[in-house]
Amino acid sequence: MPAIESYGLTRNFGQITAVEDLNFEVAEGEILAFLGPNGAGKTTTIRMLAGIIAATSGYAIVAGHRTDKDIDRLHQDIGLLTEAPGLYDRLSARRNLEYFAGFYPGLDSVAQAQKYLKVVGLEERSEDRVGTFSKGMKQRLALARALLPEPKVLFLDEPTSGLDPEAAREVRELIANLGREGRTIFISTHNLTEAEQLCHRIAVVRTRMVALDSPENLRQRLFQREVVIQMESITRQVLDAVTGLSFVRKAVPEGKDLVVELDDALSQRPELVKGIVDSGGRIIAVNERRHSLEEIYLNLMREAGHEKA
Amino acid sequence: MKKHNPIRNIIQKEWRMLATDLQTIMLVSLIPLIIVGQVILYIWIASNFGDSIAANQFFLNSLERLRQSMPPASGLSQSQQFLLLLVSQFNFYLLLIPTMIAVSLATFSIVDEKLSGSLEALLATPVKTWELLLGKALSGAIPALVVTWICAAVFLLGMAALGWGNLIGLVVTPTWFISLFLLTPAVAVLSFLLGVIGSSRAKDTRNAQNAALFIIFPVLALVAVQITGVVWFTPLFTLLLAVAIGLIDVMTLRVAVRLFQREAIVIKWR
Repeated sequence: MPAIESYGLTRNFGQITAVEDLNFEVAEGEILAFLGPNGAGKTTTIRMLAGIIAATSGYAIVAGHRTDKDIDRLHQDIGLLTEAPGLYDRLSARRNLEYFAGFYPGLDSVAQAQKYLKVVGLEERSEDRVGTFSKGMKQRLALARALLPEPKVLFLDEPTSGLDPEAAREVRELIANLGREGRTIFISTHNLTEAEQLCHRIAVVRTRMVALDSPENLRQRLFQREVVIQMESITRQVLDAVTGLSFVRKAVPEGKDLVVELDDALSQRPELVKGIVDSGGRIIAVNERRHSLEEIYLNLMREAGHEKA
Repeated sequence: MKKHNPIRNIIQKEWRMLATDLQTIMLVSLIPLIIVGQVILYIWIASNFGDSIAANQFFLNSLERLRQSMPPASGLSQSQQFLLLLVSQFNFYLLLIPTMIAVSLATFSIVDEKLSGSLEALLATPVKTWELLLGKALSGAIPALVVTWICAAVFLLGMAALGWGNLIGLVVTPTWFISLFLLTPAVAVLSFLLGVIGSSRAKDTRNAQNAALFIIFPVLALVAVQITGVVWFTPLFTLLLAVAIGLIDVMTLRVAVRLFQREAIVIKWR
């Protein structure tokens, strides 16, 4: 059973549509990145999935509970890291966690607080007031708070936003560890590196769902597979032989590199190499050209922009 | 393992927060001191100028009602009767203590959570709105009530110390007890619930405080009707009033839950 199922999730604020007709599923143990520009509806989607705000139309099932009907039980099975840490500065880290844990029936708030202070590496600062903590420490503590109920689904809204690189890395490591434990995690972010490092699939949104797939599949879908052949020299015969191959879409020399666009870079690569060698070409190396997630994202956003226009 | 009790959880957290806020503690203790000080000043004025003030037509009606409800008071001099009239109002003055503390504490209760961002995290837990609001209200009402009772004890001690001990027996009546242990708690809870409503609806702390100032007016009206003798608070009347306010407390909690718009709070407060 999927951990998250969304059926036509839509939210309007007056005349403005923040989220429109979102349909997707997240499998148990999967980490999904929700990517999009500011105002794309990422936080609104998280709030709807977490049962904090209602959908204008459509619904979702999260951890087996409908977000429009079963909010009490939903809240027992999810963890939410909000955009702002939202901690009590005048209370100690331990007291903060014990307080939030105290709302979950059947949970040993003292033991849970202790457990997750250790997980996020704040055990030694447990008695210090949160007001004395750095931004990164607060974020780690807020992450611990989200983990207190042992959630079936964890929502993280911009988990590394506003953190310095070191603090961001620490938080990312924590999330990666949670992923290795098999937790279902839904991350809203506009940090592309973070999304690629941590997540199995990426959902690109701009009010509507623009794309949803693994980074690798998105690459394949958006860009033809390109092979870069490093050669001693590129002769006319080699170029003619390559362009003459039926599966080659395009071949462009870039200095001593020949960039060849293929239908399928993996299966057609040996034929390509054979063709070059047969035409007298001398190959130094053959590599696949990888497009960054940033290129993929910008491409998708451009497409979504054109569609909207 | 602690027993699951969200309301107690909220109260404990609020008290822990309060314990770290020296400024608020000072403010909360200052209000009762001012009120007790005021009453001691009345005693002093009455003991020195009682005859001329009591002769005022405005108070004659009240003194008549006092003599009717407390026959032993007829044996006292007019200045002593006037003094008795004033000190017997003190339990109604006491009602001002929780209401004024509510303005200081309850009005910040939700606004502060909104501004710090902790409310959204709180709303993602299984806490129910009524538990949250009642917990917030009780966390302020309980200490306010304790402070009020301490003030009542201090006042009686003050009366004895100032040489008015002979009046204590006339002041500590069934009405006094009903007022102190039923009416005052009901008013305290009501004040804090209204403060919490103001806090959940307000756009900022100043706005919340301005709205909450209106809580004090009904209590002032209660003191005024008693002191002018318009309505005399017999034990039965005070008991009925306490029960009525208790019922209003329950209704106010229901209204507070309806007025607490989770969505608007989360969406509009960022």
